[in-house]
Amino acid sequence: MDFVPHDRKTITEMLRVIGVADIEELFQDIPKDLIKEKLDLPTGLSEPDLFRHMEEISRKNKIYTSSFLGAGCYYHYIPSLVDFVISRSEFYTSYTPYQAEASQGYLQAIYEYQTMISRLTQMDIANASMYDGSTALAEAAIMTTLITNKKSIFMLEGIHPEYIEVVKTYCWGQNISIEITTEDKLLNQLNEDVAALLFQSPNFFGDIEDISKLVKHVREKAPNCLLVQVMTDPTCLGVIKPPGLTDIDIFVAEGQSFGISPSFGGPGLGIFTAKKKYLRKMPGRLVGKTKEINGTREGFILTLQAREQHIRREKASSNICTNQALCSLAALVYLLAMGRTGLKGIATQNFQKAHYLKSKIGKIPGYKILNTKPTYNEFLVKCPSIDSLIYQCKQRNLLPPLKISKYYPQMKNTALVCITEMNSKDSIEAFIQAAQVALNNKAEG
Amino acid sequence: MKSNITLIFEKGIDEELQNYIPEMDIEVADLKEIIPQILLRNDIPIPNVPEIEIVRHFVKLSHKNYGVDTGIYPLGSCTMKYNPKICESIERLPGFSQVHPLQEENQGSIELLYNISKFLGEITGMDGFTLQPAAGAHGELAGLLIMKKYFEHKGIKKEKIVVPDSAHGTNPASAKMAGFSIIELKSNEQGEVPLDHLEYAMQGGDVAGIMLTNPNTLGIFDRHIKEITQIVHNNGGLCYYDGANLNPMLGICRPRDMGFDIVHLNLHKTFATPHGGGGPGSGPIGVINDLSPFLPEPCIISTENGLVCKESAGKSIGRIKSFWGNFGVIVRAYAYILALGAEGLLRVGKIAVLNANYLRILLQQKYKLPYNRICQHEFVISDKNMPNNITTEDIAKRILDYGIYAPTIYFPLIIQGALMIEPTETESKESLDYFVEIMNKIYEEAKENPEILKSAPHNLPVKRLDAVLAARKPVLHD
Repeated sequence: MDFVPHDRKTITEMLRVIGVADIEELFQDIPKDLIKEKLDLPTGLSEPDLFRHMEEISRKNKIYTSSFLGAGCYYHYIPSLVDFVISRSEFYTSYTPYQAEASQGYLQAIYEYQTMISRLTQMDIANASMYDGSTALAEAAIMTTLITNKKSIFMLEGIHPEYIEVVKTYCWGQNISIEITTEDKLLNQLNEDVAALLFQSPNFFGDIEDISKLVKHVREKAPNCLLVQVMTDPTCLGVIKPPGLTDIDIFVAEGQSFGISPSFGGPGLGIFTAKKKYLRKMPGRLVGKTKEINGTREGFILTLQAREQHIRREKASSNICTNQALCSLAALVYLLAMGRTGLKGIATQNFQKAHYLKSKIGKIPGYKILNTKPTYNEFLVKCPSIDSLIYQCKQRNLLPPLKISKYYPQMKNTALVCITEMNSKDSIEAFIQAAQVALNNKAEG
Repeated sequence: MKSNITLIFEKGIDEELQNYIPEMDIEVADLKEIIPQILLRNDIPIPNVPEIEIVRHFVKLSHKNYGVDTGIYPLGSCTMKYNPKICESIERLPGFSQVHPLQEENQGSIELLYNISKFLGEITGMDGFTLQPAAGAHGELAGLLIMKKYFEHKGIKKEKIVVPDSAHGTNPASAKMAGFSIIELKSNEQGEVPLDHLEYAMQGGDVAGIMLTNPNTLGIFDRHIKEITQIVHNNGGLCYYDGANLNPMLGICRPRDMGFDIVHLNLHKTFATPHGGGGPGSGPIGVINDLSPFLPEPCIISTENGLVCKESAGKSIGRIKSFWGNFGVIVRAYAYILALGAEGLLRVGKIAVLNANYLRILLQQKYKLPYNRICQHEFVISDKNMPNNITTEDIAKRILDYGIYAPTIYFPLIIQGALMIEPTETESKESLDYFVEIMNKIYEEAKENPEILKSAPHNLPVKRLDAVLAARKPVLHD
């Protein structure tokens, strides 16, 4: 099938108006030997055939009844109205709202998203979105080098390993050096040449850091070093202290937990916030409130575009153009649906269920919880046999936790377990049972 | 005075709404035992809004917005074509939308990613693909980092990139992000790359290559494309193809055959995935064999044991995004390619060019076209010679008054008061004729009633907004 609305007669008529004999004549600028004979691709499919074919492929992915896997992508409940709103085609078939007066609907929604994120994080300003948490962190790192004019970045262990990789890739492009360190070593290593310290909390292993303490130590040792916090599941902000209250300079997060389905890891949402004084170094789109030129009504418009690539070209603060607008709309609707009561309720339930599972697992002989700091909805478990635990989970139709040796080969037989409000008591009991049965099998080599 | 705007934050009620929290079915502990008080927040300044209020709010906002489903969206270089509804349904299948990126039983996703790489390889002529980049500009960055790595690996220092002045703004911005400096090349009077200037620029020795979009942003296919890529190659450089304008080339002509080494595609343009109000997009890049080892990791490769994911290729530039890319967007594009097939894709290229030339011929009767020759997917008119000093902005705002969206304005920068028009293949003749009728009417208004243009728009929720005020006193949230 195709989606061209012309019939043959119309095409002939249009060719006559143009004054050419056939469509081929319109490609006369292309050297003859560059014209492709025929693409070696399958014949087109009708809608029912296409749907059947795609459904068959989708069935080759396993869908479980319950999940214990997180590690940067989370199963949270998505209220039905989220998909309802993002399915309004006035939103999803539009593009970046360049023509403000004809795009007041989306512009207001983005302004409300910026407001929502500022309130949730208590940071001064939020942009309209980045691609995802990892690229938001990489852009934050680059932004700190633009602010400070320094070319050295420190990262604390415990940042999502894939995020570390992305930051490395971006920084390599601009000859920015990177040091990965621990909290203990950090204070001896920090010096005046460091643009920023990047850290994650709750971190990849589940630990919630005492940020106030960390900030205090860094500020004493290196007053000009900026602090950048990243978070992979910001639903915890329903309960824990927001970054704006701990003097963080730039806060970024992966917003997939806010009403966006896992979808094999993308699209997600890069949440990007900062202190107001860094506004003009921010990457990405910003929507501002303004007034009519010759009138009194208020409206919304893309603003501070002098930072952006389409105006500034190579002098822009970033090359980003298309972002993740529809995902930010989903996040806005999700956060509104939840409201303050729902956000607190969800975060509380994540804390409680993880705590419940942690205490149960910790009591099974052979299992040990490795976290010593408080945790949110993820924690590390040393197991007698990770492979056996994974096998037993699959037997019970549970998506198994992360075998953390995927990223840290030295951490054998260790699971990163994630549990959210989506895990019923039954699924938790099934997981505990899987862990008990998995006791006596052989260990990861 | 009461504002004309009602934000959703004003719709809260004083009631503890908990519609979306499942019942707590386990024994609960005192939260203070789980987490120290000092780490907790006191309040969340977000209202509790009843569901009906949220729904009505966003339905109202949607009425103040405009999409491809509303009408023609002739935004040049953005390829605002119809987004097939079947692709939306497919993307929402649980076997795609509910899959975790780190789960082991993912053969469906892996197969899809592998297959679309092969399809895109056939469409562009390239050997290796990565689907990780989340948008066109992200693909550009990845592609340029590959260039950088390639030369680093060969032990050759290359620090500059040639970019024509007609290029998309992302090109120089991406080159800068990859650590290159820019040599800007002035287009000649035909709107093409001047070969002698290119030759001169390349002779510097430290030039890594060129970034080019062809057809360019004037909608012109550069007749000397083979000579251009030849000159760059002869001087040890690589050629990067900005695929933002690939739509008219579908099934007609492939970037590889033009002599390019790296190409990015915008799945949200050429392959009909929704633009979403500015994303999510997807910007896969394809490269020739020599550059494949430098692609971002992980890569999917075919082995005797089926498809496997290769985590590290040794020479790779590393990761450019977490997980696999914007998979949900890739699923839609894959479905689109399967729906159209070879024949359908060829028809896309042909009809996109037919529609653009039809509009060009009809609009040139009143408007000035600085480069008036057969175009490909788009063409550019200028506000030069408009009666009564009517500007491009005036024209654009008046277009909105007639219930349709305006073209890309003031771009490319090389044309005074540019209006860049790309109708795409999915606009009917009636729709194109209506656009021409409106444009002609606006021209007459410019002559006889210029005030109505200068004060446009008149029929929208707001009159022309003050961009200067917005930037001078930024109000970014309530």
